[in-house]
Amino acid sequence: MDQLAIYFLDAANYVLILVLVALGLAIVFGLMGVINMAHGEFMMLGAYAVMVTDRHGGSYWLGLLLAPLAVGVVGFLIEEAVIRRIYARVLDTILASWGISLMLKQGIVLIFGPGSYSMATPIAGNVLVFGAPYPVFRLFIMGVSLAAVAFTFWMFFATRFGLAARAVIANRAMAGCLGINTRRLDRLTFTYGAMLAGLAGAVMAPLISLDPQMGLGFLVPAFLSILVGGLGSILGPLAGAATVGVTDNLIATLYSPVWAQLVVFAVVVVLIRLFPSGLAARRRREL
Amino acid sequence: MRAGAFLAGLRRLGGEDLSALLALAVFAVLPAFVEEWRLAEFAIFFIYGLFAASQMFIWGHCGVLSLGQAVFFGVGAYGMSTLTLGMIPGLEGVTSTWLGLLFAAALSAGLAFLLGWFLFSAPRLQGAFFGIVMLAVAFIAERLAINWDFLGGLNGLMNVPPINLGLNGDGAEIWESLPVYYIALGVLAVVAALLRRVIASSFGTVLLAIRERDYRTRALGYDIIRYRVLAFTLAGGVAGLAGALFVTQFGFASPALIGFALSAEVLIWVAVGGRQSLVAAILGAVLVRALESGLSAQLGDYWLLFLGAVFVAVVLLLPRGVIGEAIHLAGRGLGRLSSGHDTDQ
Repeated sequence: MDQLAIYFLDAANYVLILVLVALGLAIVFGLMGVINMAHGEFMMLGAYAVMVTDRHGGSYWLGLLLAPLAVGVVGFLIEEAVIRRIYARVLDTILASWGISLMLKQGIVLIFGPGSYSMATPIAGNVLVFGAPYPVFRLFIMGVSLAAVAFTFWMFFATRFGLAARAVIANRAMAGCLGINTRRLDRLTFTYGAMLAGLAGAVMAPLISLDPQMGLGFLVPAFLSILVGGLGSILGPLAGAATVGVTDNLIATLYSPVWAQLVVFAVVVVLIRLFPSGLAARRRREL
Repeated sequence: MRAGAFLAGLRRLGGEDLSALLALAVFAVLPAFVEEWRLAEFAIFFIYGLFAASQMFIWGHCGVLSLGQAVFFGVGAYGMSTLTLGMIPGLEGVTSTWLGLLFAAALSAGLAFLLGWFLFSAPRLQGAFFGIVMLAVAFIAERLAINWDFLGGLNGLMNVPPINLGLNGDGAEIWESLPVYYIALGVLAVVAALLRRVIASSFGTVLLAIRERDYRTRALGYDIIRYRVLAFTLAGGVAGLAGALFVTQFGFASPALIGFALSAEVLIWVAVGGRQSLVAAILGAVLVRALESGLSAQLGDYWLLFLGAVFVAVVLLLPRGVIGEAIHLAGRGLGRLSSGHDTDQ
């Protein structure tokens, strides 16, 4: 029973982080048609920002506040300098953002060296959840992720900005004709996507080892989550991340964590092939 | 418009073949001018060039962006290593270089065929999504190589024998720089010439048509999935051959050959060299690596930053690539020269 509760919480933890990362990717792709290969590096920047704040006398909490803002600025600048020149060239967005990801990674290597960093957990201690002791900090991470995801959904489904954004996702040209400033929306969206990635990296920085290569380990599962969940819907990443995250944790617990990711990716590739429009889209059609 | 594009295409063809011969001539006499140890390095660069040719064929010519092309390079490398090291159960006695090359290329081509057959038939799994799925495949392959003890795990397979002229690995070994250099250059030239023939053939023309307008090509009665699968298989086979040759010279197969990093690198070589021209892509690989080896002493960690910036700039501004653009301009100059000559007469 305790084991089950811990398993459930670990899975929820991973899924929520994955949703946070995948959501940024999905919004940017859905709205702008941009596949952002540098998304994992945005996450890395968020994590390093927290680490730097922590080392220079600030606290984890200050870092958590600053990191999304800093990464948002970086995202804004990259959008202005590079991404806006290649809208509507999807394959080129992959290449250009891949180049950017390489530069960001190398920039981190130049400043902080190729080695890895770790941080102390800001909240120590455990609480009993369903009779099982569980670290408070992990619950905090889940809370932050959940709040960010909820905020994103609220923004997309309950504000004027969200209405305009969904209009652009549905039909960009028509939205433009109706007087929606698509250029401004693109800029905001990319910045927001970067901020989400920055937040994801920042909030979990104390739990993982920070190194320049850390982004890829999250980028690939996030992409697979989106593909498995289905594009064109903001709900897709939720379903996808749940599929990827839960299976990953299940195999890791029952068999071995080393093979879990491998098996999950292989299964997901097969799933993507068999349900190309995504699990979420499929269920919706049946309803 | 169409006739203009066609004419431009013809002229580029002239420029491309010319530059290919020029490059071949330069590399053929290069050993007379550089130190011996440089030659071994260049032999490796030529093998990377072969790998780049595979990426150019599938990406530049067929329009299929594979973000995990190193999977096939790595499978070729591991295939060659396991065979020539006598590790394959039931075939311990077979250590022939020749069979190894065949085995490696066939293994990669077979894997590419299966993956292509499985993935291309999904209607929505095209373009960017195919690229990302291949990235996931590269990730899987790298993890597999790291965690599979049979393949040596993280350390990889060491002491892979060099090219052996004997029928079953019992003849003269070739490990001196000069012959290795010419073997690599020769294989590169022959395979590139063959790929050039394929690109210019009617099969290649159909692939080009599929790249430009897949639904129209289908409407003309071509089975576009079959064409794509065959092209992917061919590209996989060439990448596997490159991987196999690589380990005969490097002597060592490791998970780094199969994963994400090398997949990204080959994409950069081809983009910077020029994805629309075979020669440009190959020269891109050779020159980027040669520059890297020459400049890494001075630039150190800044080299990758610089390379990333060049890559982004090329994607934004120079879709033909640096060398491709140069060849294009030279070809155009050539065309203008020849047409000017005509009016004189």
